[in-house]
Formats: sequence, structure tokens, C-alpha cells
Amino acid sequence: MIKFVARRLFYGFLILFGVEAVVFLLFHALPGDPVAMLAGQRSDIATRNEIASELGLDQPLLKQFILYLNDQSFISIHENTPENQQKYEYNPLFRYDKDYVVALKKPYLRRSFQSNKKVTEIISENIEATFWLAVAALFIAVIIGIPFGIAAALKQNSWWDQFLIALSVVGISVPSFVSAVIISLLFGYYLSDYTGLNLTGQLWVTHPLRGRELHLENIILPAITLGIRPLSVIVQLTRSSMLDVLTQDYIRTAQAKGLGKFKVVFKHALKNALNPVVTAVSGWLATLMAGAFFVEYIFDWKGIGFVTIKAVQNLDFPVVIGCTLFIATVFIIVNILVDIIYAMLDPKVRLR
Amino acid sequence: MTAPPKKTILEARQLSVAFPSKKQENRVVDELSFQLFSGETLGIVGESGSGKSMTALSLMQLLPRRAVLHPESEIILHRKNGESIDLTGQKPAVMRQIRGNEMSMIFQEPMTSLNPVFACGEQVAESLILHQGLSGKQARVRTIELFREANLPRPEKIYTSYPHQISGGQKQRVMIAMAMACNPSLLIADEPTTALDVTVQKNILQLMNRLREQHDTSILFITHDLGVIAEIADKVMVMYQGKIVEFGSVWDIFSHPQHPYTKGLLACRPRLDVSLSRLPTVSDFMQVNEKGALVEKKGKYNSVGEAILFNAESPTELIEKRMQVIKSGPILKIKNLKTYFPLNLGFFSGGREFVKAVDNVSFEVYPGEAIGLVGESGCGKTTLGRSILKLVEPTSGFVFFEGQLINYMKKRQLRQMRKHMQIIFQDPYSSLNPRKTIGDTIMEPMKQYKIGRNKNERIERVMQLLEKVDIPRDSFYKYPHEFSGGQRQRICIARALAVEPKLIICDESVSALDVSVQAQVLNLLNDLKNEFNFTYIFISHDLSVVKFIADRILVMKNGKLVEMGYPDALFARPKEPYTRSLIDAIPKGDLEDIKKAQLQRKLSAQ
Repeated sequence: MIKFVARRLFYGFLILFGVEAVVFLLFHALPGDPVAMLAGQRSDIATRNEIASELGLDQPLLKQFILYLNDQSFISIHENTPENQQKYEYNPLFRYDKDYVVALKKPYLRRSFQSNKKVTEIISENIEATFWLAVAALFIAVIIGIPFGIAAALKQNSWWDQFLIALSVVGISVPSFVSAVIISLLFGYYLSDYTGLNLTGQLWVTHPLRGRELHLENIILPAITLGIRPLSVIVQLTRSSMLDVLTQDYIRTAQAKGLGKFKVVFKHALKNALNPVVTAVSGWLATLMAGAFFVEYIFDWKGIGFVTIKAVQNLDFPVVIGCTLFIATVFIIVNILVDIIYAMLDPKVRLR
Repeated sequence: MTAPPKKTILEARQLSVAFPSKKQENRVVDELSFQLFSGETLGIVGESGSGKSMTALSLMQLLPRRAVLHPESEIILHRKNGESIDLTGQKPAVMRQIRGNEMSMIFQEPMTSLNPVFACGEQVAESLILHQGLSGKQARVRTIELFREANLPRPEKIYTSYPHQISGGQKQRVMIAMAMACNPSLLIADEPTTALDVTVQKNILQLMNRLREQHDTSILFITHDLGVIAEIADKVMVMYQGKIVEFGSVWDIFSHPQHPYTKGLLACRPRLDVSLSRLPTVSDFMQVNEKGALVEKKGKYNSVGEAILFNAESPTELIEKRMQVIKSGPILKIKNLKTYFPLNLGFFSGGREFVKAVDNVSFEVYPGEAIGLVGESGCGKTTLGRSILKLVEPTSGFVFFEGQLINYMKKRQLRQMRKHMQIIFQDPYSSLNPRKTIGDTIMEPMKQYKIGRNKNERIERVMQLLEKVDIPRDSFYKYPHEFSGGQRQRICIARALAVEPKLIICDESVSALDVSVQAQVLNLLNDLKNEFNFTYIFISHDLSVVKFIADRILVMKNGKLVEMGYPDALFARPKEPYTRSLIDAIPKGDLEDIKKAQLQRKLSAQ
């Protein structure tokens, strides 16, 4: 088990490295000049050069990349100066050469070009919104999807079954930016008098007098929008997997034992049928945690996806690469967790 | 003294099951009536599709959704509490009390009949908790007792094991423990030993016999194997196309079979006592007349004995055949062949361990010879067959085919070599591509090896081949699903023949077939051998089949060749105790054995 996790983490690092290299190169191939954006009106050459050298943009590409990696690594080499000490907050391990130190530190994702805020700060401020949105969406999908899937399987070929299938096909095929626009307009605007919901909104709203307030109603529409696709997939998966399991020999054994229908379905069949569903659900969890770019953007939901899109628009390179790395890390960790859950559900799976 | 009057446990009257379609009724079970007494074993024999399993499922009221029980059918169960009820159309709640409690069932496939996500013990205990109201702890104690009764090794360990962690025979024992958990008055066993090795089968049959004696349970035993019936049953019911064609005591059926179908079944089983040049088949005994009714075919054989006598081979014929074979040099020579599979022990564990599937095997095969390769499942016989063809890469050793070493051949050469060596697999259902017509399937290798000058010539040749294996010419354009299992296996044979091979490896090629169909396929293989002078390596777990087809038998155990010899000598005087145990485990089904078994049963009943 520990060996399994260690190996998967090792692969995870390789993946992160690849992701970083690709994003880094892509970004430098993109048109647009962050220096010009930062310099704004004061666009004399001296200022521009100063900004560029401050950001390290005047260095050759490979060097920039290595410096970047050095900044992100837990163990890194830095010039031992008080400024660096303050910038990276590192704990020196040992001296290397005269002026350099090998140090242990938290990954330093640099500062936003735009706001000069630390990228780690930006992520930690916005991750909560994304997290709750993902959880809420998945909650809706599971709570509705699994019972619907079971119901469809038990009443195979009835109108109820066919209705659910048709609906889930629609749910899978409608792109999230379309459903987001429709849902937000319909329930958050035209019907907002009846639903009492807003077009956009945040989970936490700072009221001028009452301070920070929780606004749970604001999560409803984006969560439903985000949940539609996993919901549809879960309905179909649960249904087909349940149908498959119900024809298995061990179900006949359970019936021959004299068990009632409820026990046969919910004890003997469901646990087997849920295996593929769990994999799918956890896969979705990873996707949703990574931020739902369109949904967050349309509902103005200040999460990771929202921040990333904004950063791409502004060529805010540190934020883009920081967010991307963060998303990739979440993906990798969630997937390892999924495999562990899977092994617990299915005794035949052993972690290696 | 007279036996005490027996209590009736179950009566079936006019039992009919159909799978209705828009056009017709499609009866699979047709007006079956029979009685079952306490402590009695009733055997149902018939080929696949004869309605045996549907009969069993209808008794349990577990028919598949599309199946319909005829309204006139009656199934009377005399319950433990003295009540007699008709199970047809009974309320689900009542059926639930009966299932697993008064009637229980064991299925054919132990591999899939246990729920993979629950521990074995839990699944047995569940039944005890349900029907006998035991607490979890009591159920556990009782389950372990049941496991011990079922001769399971280390019952405490098995209790917490998951089904995939134990062997097939052990799974079937768990199933038996589960079925016997609540002391049912009737145990229905649907081909419980068909998927198991002969040695395991023997133990399971003994176990069932013992449990029946101890608990006075009646058993309804379904099988296609008359040999098994002879070992376990008191009475036999022979079914053909949903109907009972013959019913009687085991002794009567085996000594004086009346119906031609029964005679055919008895005659077509490969025998251990006589060597035959050709197996009699069911169609030697009966035919379907113009009205669609079964009638006896007159003229060919009048009795089972005559059929066997007629086909027996004399020792002089045998010896002559053997001399003929070894005149020429060997066509296939295998020297110190080893095929090891590494055990995946993980990354950091030192020293690698191997499963020695084939361990230092050497033998020679002469042209025109049929070699039988036998052993229990897992002994490495399939891997050996595949290693010879290099379908599995051997670890070391040499395979010479016609003097050429094929181990280090280049891909191209090897492909040319494969033309001469063909393999026929076990499962005729999965070894034909369902999306290709039969003709295309057979023609494909011919194109590869450039046999026949053009397409028309190839088509003509395929049609000839089809005729050769008794499939109509016009089947060329049909798809595999339109054929029965036996026909499919014959098509697979035609495909192997298409490239005019010299050596054919048959990997359990008749194991999935009914006895009657098996006889036809075996005869076909034998005829082809005589006609084209093929060399066969015939891999099987069934010694009686191997004895019929093989000129020489190799016995394998744990990857090693333990014994080799001519069938008659090997069966009469096996050198290895392992070979002996394999031979002893074969259900014999001759009259002497039946007499003995019946006598023993009477003695123990007193």
C-alpha cells in the first residue's frame, strides 16, 4: 500500500514535470507581451528593460525554465541574501559555494504580474469556492443518479426506463456553457422572482454591516449546471452495470437462498454494480475539483477556473502556470485515492 | 426385511415451460411428471437444450423472466411441517421461506455462482441467519461446522476468504455447504461437477452421497454424463427435447435401455474397457421420421453391446498400427522444453520466483500418430501445447518440427511453419469471429498461405472442406451464431484443415460438447486422421476421451511429464499413483460398479 502510493507519487511528479514544460513552452509561443501590459503608459525602453529583468524575461528560455523549477521545488538552491530569505521563506540546509545555499522551502509559485499578489495566496483564496462547487455538484449527481439508475434497471424497457435514458443522453450531450447560460438566465433572471436566486453570486458575501455571510442559495444554480453531466453518466452507468450484475449467477444463488428482492438488489447486486460507478464518480471529482472553467466564468463564481481564465486573458503567466500545476496535482492525488477506494470495494483488486 | 415406506417429497405433474414468441410457443419442458422420495437421488440426463436446467429452475420458481410456466403444471412440495403446497403461482413470501430452507440448489459454474465481493463464510451464514434466526456469532460457528462437514481445509480461513482466493472445487464445496445449511429436504444440483476435474468431481460426488445419507435429503441431480449418474443416482430420467423418453432405476436403464436415445447415449460414451475404432453415435440408434417423431433406426445396431462389439479393435490391428507409426522418423521432437511464468512479486522483493508451467519436458511424436496429453487443470498441458506452436514463448529447450529447430526462427519463417501446425481451441463459441461468415473465416488462412490460385478455387475448396466435416456446402455464407456448439467445433476443424497442416493440436476441443456431439466430433477427427494421415496432439482432462483417440498417452503433473505409454498398458498397469488416481476418478458406469453402488446404498440405509 505504501509502496503503491510512493510509486504513484513518483509517476505523479513526472506528469507534473511534463505539464509544466508544455504550459511553459505554450505560453512563450503565445503572442502578447506581459511587459507591455505591466508597463502600461510609461513605456520607455529603460522601464521596460527593468521590468523584464525583474521578471526574469530577459534570460534565455531554458534558463527561465530551470529557474522556475528551482522556485517550485521543495529543495532548491538560492543566493543567500536577506531579500531572498524574505522572498522564499526558506530554511537553509547547508551552504553551497560561497554565496549559495541549499534550502528547504514551500513551493514558491512567484507573484502575479497583474496584482503582484503571491500565486499561492491567489490559489488558496479561490480553492474553497471551487471545492464546494465540485462537492455540491457531485453530491447532486450521486444522490439523484444512483437511485435513478437502479430504478431504470429494475424496470428495464418500461417508459420510465426509456424516459430516463433519453434524458441522460440530453444531459451528456449539452455542453456546459450552453446549459450554464440557459439555467442562469432561466432560473436566475426570468424566474428569479419565484426562485429567489441570483444570476451570479458568491458563497461568502461580505456585507457592509453584518460582515462575512454564507449565501448557500448562490451555489444551487452552478452546482446543478455542473452536476448535469456526471448525473447523466451516473444514471447510465448504474443502469447498465446493474443490468449486467442482475444476470450473474451469484444473483441466482442469492435468490435460491431465499433472500427477498430488496436484499438481492441492494446487498448482493448493488455492491458489485457500484464498482464502475465509483471509478466514474471519482474521475469526475478530479475533473470538477480542477475547476469548471465555463461554469465558474458564466456564474461569476470566483474559483480556480475563473482565476485561470482571467489570468490567460491577461497573460498573467505565473498565475496560469501555478493554477495549472495545482490542478494537475489535485488530479493526481484524487486518482490515487480513487484506486485505494476501488481496492476497498473490490477484494479482487490488489494495490501494486 | 422390507424397507420402510418412503415419504414423497416432491411431485411434479404436467410440468411444462415455454419461451413464447409471437409465432409459436417454443416449449422447452413438455409435460413432465415425476415423483421424488425422501433420501432418493433422481438423475436427469440429457444433452444441452433438452430442458434439464429449466426443469430445475421451474421447481425453484426461479425461471428467467421470458420463460412461462404452463398453467396446468403442478409442483407439489410436501413440506417439513407436513403441509403440502403447490409451488406454481405461489406468493413470493412463501417461496422465499422455501428456497434455501426446504429446497436448495447448486449450480454448474462454481466460479461465478458465489458473489465476488462477500467472503465465503458470510454468504453461507446469511442463509442461516435468514432461515434459522441465528445470531451472527452462532451462524459463524455453524458455518465453520458446515465447512468442516464439506471437507474444506482450514474452515476458519475459508470463512474469511473471498471466492477468488479459493479453487474451483473448494468453491463448489462452499456452494454445497450453503445449500445444505438449513437441512433442506430437497437438493437440486444442476451439473455441479461438469466444470471440475475428474479427481475433484469424484470427491464432490462422495461428499454429496455422504450428506444425503446423513441428512436423508433427496437429490435431484442433473448431468449430461451417464457415468456420473451411475455413481450417484437411484433412478434416472432421460430427457430429450423437453420430454421424458425413459424413466427407471439406474440398474434398469444401464442394463436394459428401452429407448433408442438412451441406447445411443450409453453407447457413445468413450469406454475404458474396450478400445474402439469408431464411437457409436446417437444417430446410429434413432432418427426423426416424417412426422417429426423419434423412431428407432433399425438395421445398424440392435443393442448397445452389439454397437460396441462391432466397433472394437482387435489387438493385432492395434499392434500393426503402432509398428506402422514408428517406421518413419519423428515429425515433432521436443527436448527439455521449459516455460516459466514470472510471479509478479512487486518491485523491491529480491529474487524472482516462477510458476513452472512446463518443466523440462521431452518427447517425440511420429507422423500419423495421435498423442493424448492428460492431466488436471493447472498441470501445464495447455501451456505445453502453446509453447510447441510458439504461441507462448518457451523459457528454454528445443522444439524440432521435421528436423527444423523452430525456437530461433525468424517471424517470417515461423509463419510459414505455422501453416503446418494448427490448433483447435476448447470453446467453439468464442473462437469464431461472430462478424465473419463461416466461409470467410475458413478462407482467411488460405489467402495468407496462398492456397488455391484464385478466389473461386478457394471457395470451392472451402465448400469441400465443409462437406468433409458434415456441414452443408451452402453454410459458406452463414454466420457462427446460426450453428450449434458441435457444428461450430466442426467448423473450427475445417478452418484448421484449410491450410493442409501436418500437425494439429486439439486443446480440450471436445470438452465443451455434449457426450453425443463429442462422439461425432471424435469420430470425425479419427476419420480425418486416417484419410490424411495427420498427426494430432490431443490435450484433454478427460482420460476416457484420450483413451479413445490417442495412440499414445502422456500424463502431466505440475508441469512435468510423469508417465508415457500406450493406452491399454497405461490403463491396465499405471506406474504412477497419480495416473492411477486419475483413472480411478473416472465415473465408470459399467454394470458391476452400479451393482456395487446400489448394494452399498442399501446397506447403509439399514
